[in-house]
Parts: sequence; structure tokens; C-alpha cells
Amino acid sequence: MDKKKIAITLGIVCLVLTISICVQINTVKNANSTVAQSFTENSLRDEVLKWKEKYDNILNQLDNSEKQLSKIREEATKNDTTASNKEEQITLNSNLLGITDLEGQGVEIILRDDPNATRETIGVLDDISYHIIHDADLRYIVNELKNAGAEAISINGQRIVNPTAITCIGNVIKVNDEKITSAFTIKAIGLSESLAGIDRPGSYVELLRENGIEVTIKKSSKVKISKYTGAISAKYMNLQK
Amino acid sequence: MEKNKITMISIIGIICVILVAVMFAQFKTVEETDITGIETAREEELQMMLSSWKTKYEEVEEKLIDTQQKITDYREKLTSNEQTSELLDKELEQINILVGKTNVTGQGVIITLKNNEEKTIEASDLRTLINELKLAGAEAISINDKRILNMTEIVDVNGIILINEDRIVSPYIVKAIGDQTYLSSALSLKTSGFIDSYQKLGKTVEMTKENKISILAYNSKKNQLQLKYAKEVQE
Repeated sequence: MDKKKIAITLGIVCLVLTISICVQINTVKNANSTVAQSFTENSLRDEVLKWKEKYDNILNQLDNSEKQLSKIREEATKNDTTASNKEEQITLNSNLLGITDLEGQGVEIILRDDPNATRETIGVLDDISYHIIHDADLRYIVNELKNAGAEAISINGQRIVNPTAITCIGNVIKVNDEKITSAFTIKAIGLSESLAGIDRPGSYVELLRENGIEVTIKKSSKVKISKYTGAISAKYMNLQK
Repeated sequence: MEKNKITMISIIGIICVILVAVMFAQFKTVEETDITGIETAREEELQMMLSSWKTKYEEVEEKLIDTQQKITDYREKLTSNEQTSELLDKELEQINILVGKTNVTGQGVIITLKNNEEKTIEASDLRTLINELKLAGAEAISINDKRILNMTEIVDVNGIILINEDRIVSPYIVKAIGDQTYLSSALSLKTSGFIDSYQKLGKTVEMTKENKISILAYNSKKNQLQLKYAKEVQE
């Protein structure tokens, strides 16, 4: 009787063990693919870094060539008034386009997400997303600055140029396809009095402040705005003759 | 008899320990495999990053080759004391196109927005559309023949839409030059795309693809393309 019991118990335990092991082997097989996955991922990551470095290098080269070009252009045109006139126009155009560093009077605006906003402090009736800066907020402020006569604008160092889009993917804001995060520094060159006027009673800036977002606007006699890092090209548009 | 019982208990005990250990090992592995979802997503993101860096690299490379060519050309003219006007004209033309000072043509899309009995088109609708078009790679954009450049604002003043202080009225014809397929598919994404989401709001929005769109040069009289306050940084 006892022997039978032992045999049955052992049998059941063995069965359970076998099933467990089978299941485990199956899972391990999957786990192995994870290892393979992270392997390709790592090599992909390396590849991304490699291309970013290549890009940085070639951008540097372009930078140097552009400086060289503007120097040689100036030299080649200095003895001819019509030519130097054209040279000046090219320089103005480069400044307008955003491919040169500019400086002048203007404003520096710093925007920070509401530091006091937590699930507890804002309660259930409020929405936490009001206390966070969104891409739409940045677009709005940039539009206000343009309306106030801004000649050049950048957000966290990203110059606003013709093809610039300000968007978000998930909760990450992208300008010129580059990720930027709070705090946001918006720089603008133009008549500083007029630019600072975007902060007035009933303005959008005030609306942001009501939601706890920190906005500081500082007028400055010398704001420096870096150029667009990248190439602006015309692949699809052609001159209409 | 006593001996047998002890052996039985100890065997069962050992087996139990092994079983528990196996189960723990299993839990751990299951936890790891659960990340697979994120891992694959990451791989896709990495792929996208990679292709984006490659494209950026190629664009800059093209520009670099072009710039270096111009330097060589100028140098030749300098040494031979020849006229540089042809070179200059070419350079000026190229940059005029990029800035938006010339009429341009190319493939693209035309989006028409109209006020209807219930819904009015607002400046913010147009701004959202412009941002979407730029994201989709539009190279030139105009609304009712007003060219949209980097410093062009679109505002509502007492219900009137102004672009560079010029008044525009419905219907709003938005022209964009760029990769036609890319532009149209970006705007007509189901539910999240511009067309779908604005039509759902009851606004009148239509899009057509065109093989040849003409967009006028920037022509604002009130807001000329000049820099009064900004000066180039001299090194």
C-alpha cells in the first residue's frame, strides 16, 4: 500500500517537473531571440552613432567651405560695384534664410512646465496636461513673435527656417526634427520693446502663467542666434521662367 | 517502515525545492521575454534614426560639393581676372529661390478651406496646416498667393485673417510644393491626419494633387525682407 502511494506521488511529481521543464525550454527559446534582438539593436545603435559622427564632420566641413566661399566671393567682387551689390544681396539672403549666426537687440523667453503640478496638487477636476508646455504653445508664441516683428527666432538653439516644423511625438517636442525638452529658451531678434509686448494683459503668455507654467521674458541689447545646422535645399521647386 | 517514510518525505521535499527553483527561473525568463515588445519598437526607432541621419548626411554632402565647386570657380576667375557676374548671378538665383523671392513651380498639393454655414476657418487652422505641410517636407507654401516664409505670421484680428498684415478671405487656397505622394499621404492619414480631423469638426477642407503648381514670390509691401536689427556675427 505504502509502496503504491510512493510510486504514484513520484509519478505525479515527475510529470509536473517534465511539464515545467518543457515550458521553460520554450520560454528560453524566446529569451534567446531577445538576446539576438538586442544584438542587432546594439549594432544598429553603433551604426546610428557612426552616421551622426559622419554628419557632424561633414557639417563642419560645409561650415568651413561656406566661410571660405563668402570670403572669396567678397574678394572677387570688391572692384566692381554691380558685382559687390550682388554679393551684398547674397549675404542678406543668407541672413534671411537662417544659415548664418545673427545678433542684435531682442528678447529671451524661458518657459518651464508647472513645477508644482502633481496628481495630488491639481485635483481630479483639472487636467495635468494644462500644466505642461506643448508644441502648440511653442508654435503660438513663435507666431506672436513673428507678428511683433521678429527677424530671427530659435528654440533651444534650433533656428526657425522656412522648412521648420514644431511638432510632438508622444511627449517629446521636435523642432527641425531634433528633440528638445523643457525648459524651453526662445530667442528672438527685433525691436525688443515690441517683442516683449507679447507679454501683456490677456495675452497667451498670461494664459500659460494662469496654468502654472513659468514664463520669463528678458529684453536684451544683444541676443545671439545660431544658424540652422543642416542644408536647406530645393528638390521639388524650380524657378518659374 | 520508518526508514521508508523518511526517504519518501525527503524525496518529495527535494523535488519540491527543485520545482520551486524551476518556477522562479521560469518567472524570471518570462519577465525578460516580456520586454520583447519594447525591444522591437526600439529597433524600428533606431532604423528610423539611421535613415534620417543618412538623408541629412546626403543633403549636406550635396551642398558641400556644390560649395566647393563654387569656391574653385571663383578662384579660377580671380587668377584669370575674368568677370564673375555669371557665377554671381547663378548663386544669387539659387539663394533667391530658397529664400522665396522668386516664382517657383513644381509638383505638390493644393488644399482648399472654406467657411460654411456652421464653421469658420480660423488663423490657427491655417497655422496648423502650414506646420503639417512643413513636417511633410513642403519647400514652398502660399495661402491665397501670399507666400509663407520663416518669419511670416498668420493672425486673427477681430475675426479677420491677416498674413503679413494683408487681409485674406475665404476660400483659402493653400498651395504647397514638395513630394506629392508624401504631402498627400501625410495630410490624409485616417483620423489623425489634417483632412480627416478637420472634416470631422465640420469644416470644409479639400485636397487635390497637382503635377504642376505655381507659387508666387514673396510680395508683401508692408513687410519687406530686410534686417533692421539683426546683424551677422563677425568672427
